Amino acid sequence: MGALEDRFPDNILFTTVDRFLNWSKKSSLWYMLFATACCGIELMQTGASRYDLDRFGAVFRATPRQSDLMIVAGTITHMMADRVKRLYDQMPSPKYVIAMGSCANTGGPFYKDSYAVLKGVDKIIPVDVYVPGCPPRPEALIEGIMKLQEKIMEKKNLVKK
Amino acid sequence: MMFNFSNVFVFLAMGTVFVAVTLFLGRLIRPADPNVIKMSNYECGEEPIGHSWITFNVRFYVIALIFVIFDVEVVFLVPWAVVFRSMGWIAFWDMLIFIVVLLVGFAYVWEMGDLDWIEYEEGEEEE
Amino acid sequence: MEAKKIFDILSGKFGGSIQQLQESTFPPSVVVGSDAIVEVCDFLKKAEGLDFLSLVCLSGVDLKEQGRMTVVYHLGSMKHGHMIAIKVELDRSSPHVRTVEKVWPVANWYEREAYDMFGIVFDGHSDLRRILMPEDWEGHPMRKDYVYPKRYHTWDV
Repeated sequence: MGALEDRFPDNILFTTVDRFLNWSKKSSLWYMLFATACCGIELMQTGASRYDLDRFGAVFRATPRQSDLMIVAGTITHMMADRVKRLYDQMPSPKYVIAMGSCANTGGPFYKDSYAVLKGVDKIIPVDVYVPGCPPRPEALIEGIMKLQEKIMEKKNLVKK
Repeated sequence: MMFNFSNVFVFLAMGTVFVAVTLFLGRLIRPADPNVIKMSNYECGEEPIGHSWITFNVRFYVIALIFVIFDVEVVFLVPWAVVFRSMGWIAFWDMLIFIVVLLVGFAYVWEMGDLDWIEYEEGEEEE
Repeated sequence: MEAKKIFDILSGKFGGSIQQLQESTFPPSVVVGSDAIVEVCDFLKKAEGLDFLSLVCLSGVDLKEQGRMTVVYHLGSMKHGHMIAIKVELDRSSPHVRTVEKVWPVANWYEREAYDMFGIVFDGHSDLRRILMPEDWEGHPMRKDYVYPKRYHTWDV
C-alpha cells in the first residue's frame, strides 16, 4: 500500500483531493496494445483518427509497465490465458480491465463444448467493464471506456474506506 | 552585452525542484504492491528465461557506432540538400569530399573485417 | 488419371497391401495397410504419371463404434490435376502408424496436429509434440470418448 493511502478522514479537503487524483487517473487511461482476434481490428479503429480514443486521454502503450488499462480484445485460448494473466500481473497498480467482445466476456461462439477457448476472461483476471458485441463497434468500446471513467471517479484513494 | 547567467541558474533550480516534487508526490500517493511476477522481466507474456543483466557481444557496439556515424552523415546531408541549389557547384564538391572521406573509412572498416559477425584470426582464410 | 487406374497401378506394385478402392468419396480413396504406407506414399510421389507432389491434408477420423481409427492422406498433383485420398485403418486402442515426414516434409506439422487431436502416434516422427493445445494438457480433445477436464492450471475450464 502507498504511504498516504487510505488514512484520512472523510472531510471536504480530502474528498476534493481524491476527486483531483481520480480525475487525473481517468484522464490518462493508457491502454496496453493487446489484441488476439477480430476485436483487435475494432480496437485499432477506435484508436485511429476517425473515432480518436486519444481525446479521452487513452493512448496505447506497447508494454504493461506503462499502461493502466488492459483491453482484452478477442478470443483467449487456454494456451494464451497464462500469458494474459502474467501480463496483467506485470501492470502497475492501479490497473483496470475491459473485456471487449463476446469471446472475452463469456467465450462467445466457443462457449459450448470448445476444448481450446477460455470461457470468459473473468475466470483469470478481475474485469471492470464488459463490452458486448461480436465484435463491438468503436462507439461501444468508447462507451465502455466512459463507464470505466465513471467507475474510477467513485473510487476513494486517500480517504478511509 | 553580457549574458545574465543567473537566468540559467534559476531555470536549472526550478527544473530540479519541479521534477523532485513531482516524483516525491507520486511516491506518497501511489499504491505500491510489488510481487514476484510483477518484478519479473517483461517478455511479452512469456515466462522469462534467465536474467536480463547478461553480457552482450561487444560486436553489437561496433555495429552501433558505425551506424551512428552514417546516421550523422544524414544529418549533414539534409540541410545541404535544402541549400544545394542556391550554393551551386561548390556545395556539391564539398559534400562529395565529405562522402568520399566517409567511404574511405567504410572501406577500411569493411577490409578490417569489423562488419563480419564472426571475426577471423590472422592467417585464417575466410570461407 | 482416374482413380481406378491409380488403384490398378498400386495393386500391381504392392499387391495385398492395397486393400480397397472407395469411389463414393471425394476424392476417391484407396485403403492401404499400415505397414506399407511409407512405400506407397513414396511411390505415389515419385512415379512417372502420378506425381503426387503435394500432401494437401492429413486428418484423423475416430470410428469409436468400429473400434478403429483412420488416418486420411489427401494427395494432389499440380502437374496432372488429379487427386486421391489414402486411408490407413488403425487399431483404436493403440493407434500407431509410420510417419511420412520423409516423403512430404509438410507432414511434420500435420502429424503433430493429428497426434494432438487424436493421440495417433507417428513412429519415427522427428518432433512429435502437441501443436495446438498446451503442452501439459490432458487427453486428446477430438476423440469421441474425450472427457472435458474440470480445471486447468488455476481456472475452471
